[in-house]
Amino acid sequence: MSWLNVTRLSKSYGPTMIFQDIDFSASEGEFVTLLGPSGCGKSTLLRCIAGLTPVDGGQILLDGQDIAPLTPQNRAVGMVFQSYALFPNMTVERNVAFGLKMQKLPASAISQRVAEVLELVEMNDYARRYPHQLSGGQCQRVALARSLVTRPRLLLLDEPLSALDARIRRHLRDRIRSIQKELNLTTLFVTHDQEEALVLSDRIVLMDQGRIVQTGNAEALYTQPVNLFAAGFIGHYNLLTAEQAAQLTGETFHRQVALRPESVVFCPSGQGIPAQILGHSLLGNVIRYRVKAKEVELWVDVLNRSVESLHPAGFQVGLLLEPGTLREVA
Amino acid sequence: MNISIIKWWWLVFLILALPLLATLLYALSTTWGATILPRGFTLRWMVQLWSDPRFMTALGHSLLICLGALVFSLVLVLPAMFVIAYYFPRLDAVMNVLILMPFAVPPVVSSVGLLQLYSDPPLMLTGTPWILIGCYFTLALPFIYRALANNMQAINMRELIDAAHLLGASTWQAALLVVLPNLRKGAFIAVLLSFSFLIGEFVLANLLVGTRYETLQVYLYNVRNESGHFSSALVISYFLVVLLITWLANALNRERG
Repeated sequence: MSWLNVTRLSKSYGPTMIFQDIDFSASEGEFVTLLGPSGCGKSTLLRCIAGLTPVDGGQILLDGQDIAPLTPQNRAVGMVFQSYALFPNMTVERNVAFGLKMQKLPASAISQRVAEVLELVEMNDYARRYPHQLSGGQCQRVALARSLVTRPRLLLLDEPLSALDARIRRHLRDRIRSIQKELNLTTLFVTHDQEEALVLSDRIVLMDQGRIVQTGNAEALYTQPVNLFAAGFIGHYNLLTAEQAAQLTGETFHRQVALRPESVVFCPSGQGIPAQILGHSLLGNVIRYRVKAKEVELWVDVLNRSVESLHPAGFQVGLLLEPGTLREVA
Repeated sequence: MNISIIKWWWLVFLILALPLLATLLYALSTTWGATILPRGFTLRWMVQLWSDPRFMTALGHSLLICLGALVFSLVLVLPAMFVIAYYFPRLDAVMNVLILMPFAVPPVVSSVGLLQLYSDPPLMLTGTPWILIGCYFTLALPFIYRALANNMQAINMRELIDAAHLLGASTWQAALLVVLPNLRKGAFIAVLLSFSFLIGEFVLANLLVGTRYETLQVYLYNVRNESGHFSSALVISYFLVVLLITWLANALNRERG
């Protein structure tokens, strides 16, 4: 029996369908990511699970209890917002204490638990500051502490890292994951960033236009995309028509073929499929080449080991394609 | 470069302050007729003004009406705006038009209608402070609504309430503990703007109430022929009262922030 079980959940605004027949589950302590492009309904789905937006139909079972009819106050669910939503009139301490005050806990218990959770997010030195005196990353850590302090049964994270700069984003991402593991807290994470999803999640729920496209762990989603959308959304793909793929490999294909740029291997000219370099762009640790082989243009990713190994445009190489790397998609 | 800007700034300031300075000088001089500078200085006019019970009453009336109208507006508008912003965000467009209505009708026109409406039973309000409080409420509305609406948008009210709900607060608690304290700045600006506007409003005060409940504006109008020095003293005192209240409110607001 899973901890969270969402069945046939639907929501529409008038004639506009937001999401329909959503089914997914999360076991206790699992980190599940709802991944999808903006407007795919993932944020609304999260708000429905939080109780901030009413659903049209369906069931949300949390620890065996249907929470769909409950108000957000009674769901014991914590949530972190993209824009932090810290109370500007309160210090860090009082922001974090707010949920416990609502539970009418004695002051001594409140201050003890607030100190504990601020320690956990490494913000205990900032307890007396106001939100406007903090950086974005610090604000988000306070927001995390505020939602953890009430010991929720489920933690919802609505694009919590999107407003932060790259370095802080990576640091906070790792911190969130380690805290989540430490507390064994079932977590739903909403993002449009595939890299975040791949790094953080135990399981990814890929959504598009209000429906679930594919559910699985990072490896499954990366290596076995079920359709064109899944292939295009996660990572970078060469998308070939069946004819192009046949031309390239000599085998027959019935549908479009997706090919990861990093699964193509260069070998000296004369071996493999003969190809010509058209150009390249530097992505940091990876060089992405544009090559032409048998009238088919492809992207090929190669690790950027040294400047000497860079192939200039017009250079002749051979391509090695493992048969398993060509994947037919709907 | 910088020095010349400061010089210009002082020049502009001087030009703007000149009428006020002349009035101040006039209020403090014994006689100032055919000479370039006053003959002598005296506090006679000021003393005469501030010991005039009629002036003190008028000042009291003015403050009472202005503050009454402002308290009335805040008490009525704040909850209404909260409900609109949280439950009926679509009404905001309607409110934006509605809020400009008091400006669409000039006071001279509206006062005629108001006199007709409120001079007979059941609502005999003309000549009482109540009708002024009511009118000033409508005049203050645009200032108060705009300032508060901007403030509500700036604090992202909806998300704050969502966060408070998830932490176990009722909508009442969220409004009182989270939203209201963060509207203080907007409310303060709204009140200050409307106050300085309302305390100088003359047309409605004179036409609807006049001497039956004499306010500062009407008092000034009625004594304008007595002595130029006296009315100058009155204008200066008027200005100082507004300045004092503004400064006081500002200081209080800063202290709590």
